Amino acid sequence: MLYTIWLLPLLGAVVLWVLGPQLRERGGILGSAAVGLSFFATLTLYRAAGTTPGVHVPLGSWIGGFTFGLMMDPLSLIWVLVITGVGGLIHVYSIGYMAGDRAVARFFAYMNFFVFAMLTLVLSDNFVGLLVGWGLVGLASYFLIGFWFERPSAVAAARKAFVINVVGDVGLMFAVFVLFSHTGSIAYTDVFARVRDLAPPVLLTACIAIFIGCAAKSAQVPLHTWLPDALEGPTPVSALIHAATMVTAGVYLVARCAPLWDSSSAARELVGTIGAVTALAGAILGIAQWDIKRVLAYSTMSQIGYMIMGVGVGAYEAGVLHFFTHAFFKAQLFLAAGLAIHALAGEQDIRNMGGLARRMPFAFWGMLIGTLSICGVPFFAGFYSKDAVIYGELLDGHPWLYVLGVATAGITAYYMFRMLFIAFFGRDRTQTEHHGEPAHASNVPDWVMQVPVAILMVGTIAAGYLDIGGDNSIWSRFLAPDFAGENLLRTGAPQISDMVSSAVVLVAVVLGFGLAYLRYGAPAALTNAPERLDREARTMPPVLTHGYFVDDLIWALFVRPAQALGMAFGRFLDPVLIDGAVRDTSFLAGVLGWITRRLENGLVRAYAVTIVLGVACFVAYYAFAGIPR
Amino acid sequence: MTPVASVALVNYIGLSALIFLIGVAGVLTRRNPLIMLMAIELMWNAANLAMLAFARAWLNNAGQVFAFLVITVAAAEAAIALAIVLITFRRTKNVDVDEIASLSG
Repeated sequence: MLYTIWLLPLLGAVVLWVLGPQLRERGGILGSAAVGLSFFATLTLYRAAGTTPGVHVPLGSWIGGFTFGLMMDPLSLIWVLVITGVGGLIHVYSIGYMAGDRAVARFFAYMNFFVFAMLTLVLSDNFVGLLVGWGLVGLASYFLIGFWFERPSAVAAARKAFVINVVGDVGLMFAVFVLFSHTGSIAYTDVFARVRDLAPPVLLTACIAIFIGCAAKSAQVPLHTWLPDALEGPTPVSALIHAATMVTAGVYLVARCAPLWDSSSAARELVGTIGAVTALAGAILGIAQWDIKRVLAYSTMSQIGYMIMGVGVGAYEAGVLHFFTHAFFKAQLFLAAGLAIHALAGEQDIRNMGGLARRMPFAFWGMLIGTLSICGVPFFAGFYSKDAVIYGELLDGHPWLYVLGVATAGITAYYMFRMLFIAFFGRDRTQTEHHGEPAHASNVPDWVMQVPVAILMVGTIAAGYLDIGGDNSIWSRFLAPDFAGENLLRTGAPQISDMVSSAVVLVAVVLGFGLAYLRYGAPAALTNAPERLDREARTMPPVLTHGYFVDDLIWALFVRPAQALGMAFGRFLDPVLIDGAVRDTSFLAGVLGWITRRLENGLVRAYAVTIVLGVACFVAYYAFAGIPR
Repeated sequence: MTPVASVALVNYIGLSALIFLIGVAGVLTRRNPLIMLMAIELMWNAANLAMLAFARAWLNNAGQVFAFLVITVAAAEAAIALAIVLITFRRTKNVDVDEIASLSG
């Protein structure tokens, strides 16, 4: 059954790729069916995977220590459910969204391939299989971001994402080398069983190297710059890759390697801090965006910061829960935004929207529920997971990270409602001329895109209820086999209780909402919205609109020197060393040819002389040296 | 069979070497392909003579067998070489090997 789950999307990808021209529009149904079947196959394994040690299928083994297999325990199960479940909904949505595009079948082939890569990543029972999945996911995201390859910006974004992902791959590979050389095995169980024997410096090195991989894949500071650019891909891709699954691979990896983190407090400090910094940095950048998808991209970065912060300090259950709820509400936000973008034929600038609540009430409700959930309003899923993460910082003794988490929650409320007010309230500012994503003439009925959003709404509201009841909740009991060490990390009783912490977060959220309402949502602000927004766009500090200049920094630190190095090689070293060697070789061959050509004079008697001389040499040799016995 | 040493081995070898050198000189100095072929035949037979002499001196019949092989090969060679000479002559109307140098590099 694990094989079925794992290989169905690959089969779908291959069939779609081979038969794409014949399938055309029907490709979407086929692609959705492959992922959907994979989802239902996962459900049949639900009970078996929930017990210790889960479902395990050996695939084969190589030399000692290299055994490969598939494994599904509670942690992988949650990921597989989200990948195939939410992924399947996004596939269905894409049937409507991509209708009319030239290469529908190619799109679904990439999507299925991505799902397969992601399943490889989470189902592997060893580090090498994980690394393979890790690389394939990066490749699949390269394909999907660059799907509209006729646009230079999409190609550049795809390349950037791929290069930064490879930086992470190298980090992860290094970690695997370190772990193998010290434990002699690549299987999770073997490695984790020997964690206690590892020297602290080795452990820290491995943790940092693993986290470089996580940071690149999960868009953590300072490797986050590919994520906003990655929105050049079609909106469903943003929902699938850059919200629901791929970017959370880092969260999965840290949670999977929990035994490593449990044993290294330095690694916990580092990862928790980077997560918190990312959460705050992403949220602040979210304030300054005008592109609806970029707002969501920075909010993704910020929310993944929360997850990393949670799993980093040891609050694994909370971090994974936030992944679970985030998959629902962020996919829903992207898909609802996609409804608006689709209806406006590719318009993504919220300054050119306005008043959409009346024009498309369904998209508005989708956005509203998603926004309430991401902000952590009580009774929506995000409330339970985000509060659990933030409170987890206190439980594990990191008051400063707690403060950062609360501040981020307030800023999140501010920029999400800012976007909502600008895009969906006030007067209609949509213009006739459009640019951005190509417009499609569609004959696919509206419900194809609306039903997935409606199903996601249920999850967006209800996914958090699994965690009601603290340590005895369904969620905690389900994940208990994976995170036995979590409770050991807690350092004494926190200063404030769970309820007080939630109240503090709620105050921050209300403050953020109030500020957004005053600036963008109040009647006074809505009357002269275009002028106000123009003024705001002009006075926005460049440090925010340019993403803290991180891109420029990377450009100056790495790209420029690399270019200069290449130029120097091309200008000075190449002509002498490479070209010179080639030219000298050919010259030498010419000279040799010229000499030996003299010998081939066509005179039979000259050849005879040569033969005689040769024989004479032989005879002379044996005459002097004697005949060997 | 007892070794028969009525004529010393060195004389046979000396004669063989002499004939061989005459053959070499003929190949190197003459320009008529027919004469050169004859000189080559001389060298074949000088080698034959040496082998037979050694076979007699050391009571080893391998030399005799080799001589037969050499005669066979020499006959084949003569047939082919004469055919080549004939065809070359028809094409070039020439019997000077120095003039037939179309294979020069």
